Amino acid sequence: MVQDSGKTLYTGIVKPLNIPVPVNVSEDKTGLPVSVRTSRRRRVVLLEDRWRIDDEWWRNEPVIRFYYAVLLDNGQRIVIFKDLANGRWYQQSC
Amino acid sequence: MKILCVLIPHFPLKCEIMRNGDLQNRQIILTRVAGTKKLVMDYTPELTGLQEGMPIQQAISRYREAFLLQADIPYYRSTFSQILDLLEKTSPLVEEAGPGLAFLDADGLQLIYPDDNALATCIQETLPAALAARVGIARGKFPAYLAALRSQPGSYCSLEDRETAFLAELPCDVLPVSLKIKKRLHDFGLHTLGRIGSLPPGPLQSQFGTLGRRIWELARGYDNTPLYPRPTTETIEESTVLPSLITSLDALLLPCEALLSRVFTRLAQRKLGILSLTLWTMSWKTEYWEHRIDFKEPAMHIHKVLTRIKSVLENQPQPGPVERLGFKITRMGYQYGQQKSLFPEVKARDHLQESIKQLNYRSGSPQVFKIKEAEPWSRIPERRYILASLNH
Repeated sequence: MVQDSGKTLYTGIVKPLNIPVPVNVSEDKTGLPVSVRTSRRRRVVLLEDRWRIDDEWWRNEPVIRFYYAVLLDNGQRIVIFKDLANGRWYQQSC
Repeated sequence: MKILCVLIPHFPLKCEIMRNGDLQNRQIILTRVAGTKKLVMDYTPELTGLQEGMPIQQAISRYREAFLLQADIPYYRSTFSQILDLLEKTSPLVEEAGPGLAFLDADGLQLIYPDDNALATCIQETLPAALAARVGIARGKFPAYLAALRSQPGSYCSLEDRETAFLAELPCDVLPVSLKIKKRLHDFGLHTLGRIGSLPPGPLQSQFGTLGRRIWELARGYDNTPLYPRPTTETIEESTVLPSLITSLDALLLPCEALLSRVFTRLAQRKLGILSLTLWTMSWKTEYWEHRIDFKEPAMHIHKVLTRIKSVLENQPQPGPVERLGFKITRMGYQYGQQKSLFPEVKARDHLQESIKQLNYRSGSPQVFKIKEAEPWSRIPERRYILASLNH
């Protein structure tokens, strides 16, 4: 009998896209982002939008995120979020 | 016919404990889903009064503090299959009689193992000690099973030429007959196998027909039921853990397609097609679902299998959001005939697909991917699209 070839349960044949990338963000006293370090530290000049996501609350690791669409001082627009479950910041395209 | 019976009581529970040692000293009830009902599949032996197949509500009402665990049936099957593989090293003829129960043909093994003690010791050493397997040796499946049932965990019981004496004291309830017949036996005052065996076969036959003869033979320790060794057919299994919970049919078809691609890459080298396939899923509450799909002619192309899978999944909704998914291909066959396309576009597409297959085969993993929608409506950005391998 041929052995179970399914030993590598995650086979890499289906891969997630747009995984959040950890990013270094400085916050002000109210928790809003004031600067973001991508290749170098950039100041946040405008908070264009913000929204919150609460999902998969039934799982061990629920998704609780606060997203910010920000404009940096070099004119770059990025979307960052704070993971309220672990307190870390991430960058993600939306 | 000398038969060796290997019995592992509470096999599913022992599998769970082997997987997670923290469960060792807890009161556990394993549950399974049957239609809309949740039933007890296994339980800690200390929880007296529980029965396999009992509704979970009844079990909880008796043991409120018990820890409920959903049965992981593919894991138990896979573990037991590995156990049977180990047993096949001792005897080439092994019958799988149920979860935790196997019969081995022990005829002729005396040339390797001088006595039953050596044989039983070899079996016990082969199996993990945590399973505390019981071994019974007798001439026939039924007495061997009863011997295993009466032996100590991790030990053995051999009924060398004393089957009748051993069975004499056992109650007639151990007979593999219906409850109605057992009740009738008690009504006749035939409470033990010894009482049944002391009778001539005629009266039993007149009461129970051909079954009466069988009851009489079993009571005397005669069981000529042949051993049905498990077939040595080739099986291909593929499974995957999904990156996120999947609820929609379209999203569920993507990993199916990806897994089938892997299967067909393997089969194509040998020019084989799929004749029988079992699709299984495990939802986030570890509810197990499976469906077998048979093909009249070997399915040589992924789209033929996918179409059938789609129709099955459409007609049979999943019990919950799917976390794991897999196939077990149990029958394969050679194709009857194939007509290649005359159209250049189709030829070019086939050529490209063949090149991608070769590339994947050489590197050992998918190299070309395509972006597919998974849950485009999801609020979580990484759930919306996935990369699926493009090798078909």
